[in-house]
Amino acid sequence: MSRRLFIKKVAAAIAAAAFPAHPFAFPGSAVADTRTHRVEISGFRFTPDRLDVSVGDTITWINRDIAPHTATASEGGWDTGELVKDAQASITVTADMETSYFCAFHPMMKAQLSITAADQ
Amino acid sequence: MKQKLLLAVSMLALALQATPAAAQSPADLNDLQIAHVAYVADNIDIRYAHLALAISENPAIHEFARTMIRDHTAVNEQALALLKKLNAQPQDNFLSKQLTANSEKLVDEMSQLRGAAFDKRYAENELAYHKAVNDLVSNAFIPNIENAEVKSLFEAGLKIFKAHEHHAEMMVKAVSK
Ligand SMILES: [Cu+2]
Repeated sequence: MSRRLFIKKVAAAIAAAAFPAHPFAFPGSAVADTRTHRVEISGFRFTPDRLDVSVGDTITWINRDIAPHTATASEGGWDTGELVKDAQASITVTADMETSYFCAFHPMMKAQLSITAADQ
Repeated sequence: MKQKLLLAVSMLALALQATPAAAQSPADLNDLQIAHVAYVADNIDIRYAHLALAISENPAIHEFARTMIRDHTAVNEQALALLKKLNAQPQDNFLSKQLTANSEKLVDEMSQLRGAAFDKRYAENELAYHKAVNDLVSNAFIPNIENAEVKSLFEAGLKIFKAHEHHAEMMVKAVSK
């Protein structure tokens, strides 16, 4: 074994130990890395209307308006369903989920997610 | 001298306002009359929406109409809850009667229409109606409402109706293509 190859192998072993390739194998450690983000719906706006999230994070939408709203992916891939005043709903971020969303009841209400992969 | 003149002018203004006849200007309505107008105005838009669901075949018009029913119903529920909390009854008045009479004419007129003609008339009326109600709420009602809770409910309502006005504008454009 050449010296260079040996170093490569050791480096790979260290990397594998530090960053388990299979995130689902250790749900406990995955939870520790994820975050919960809150999006408030009030005055017919999503706040924030641009949100950076990572795969595995949770997004919680809470409606503060009298009018019911939804958070619905533009192509319909995901949906909180109807949120009446003070109701909330959560969705877990996946790598392939749609990033543009709107309110299905008030289509002029639009917002955006920006997803980064977990474990980079 | 100047002060006496001012006093005379303000007394005259007071005398003109204090006519014994019932209020005939939206700005003269009391909180309970204003609440009645709002309730009537909400129900009128709900009625138009049910007409649209019955006649229109356009899915976008149906979505819009369902939003009108959902939102105006939510506002009415909040208004009724507040009146109950304040132990107050809304009071019928000239403006509520006028709005109802106008809406009956419009429902008759729109009931005769079908297809694209109905959709266009409905969308245009929604735009005009929300514009008129928003003018009334922002210029005549909100500055004159005395009860702080009633005022804040109207401010929240105005935000909703402005969103509807904007939404109706989009609908008018969509059905005029
Ligand atoms: Cu909405």
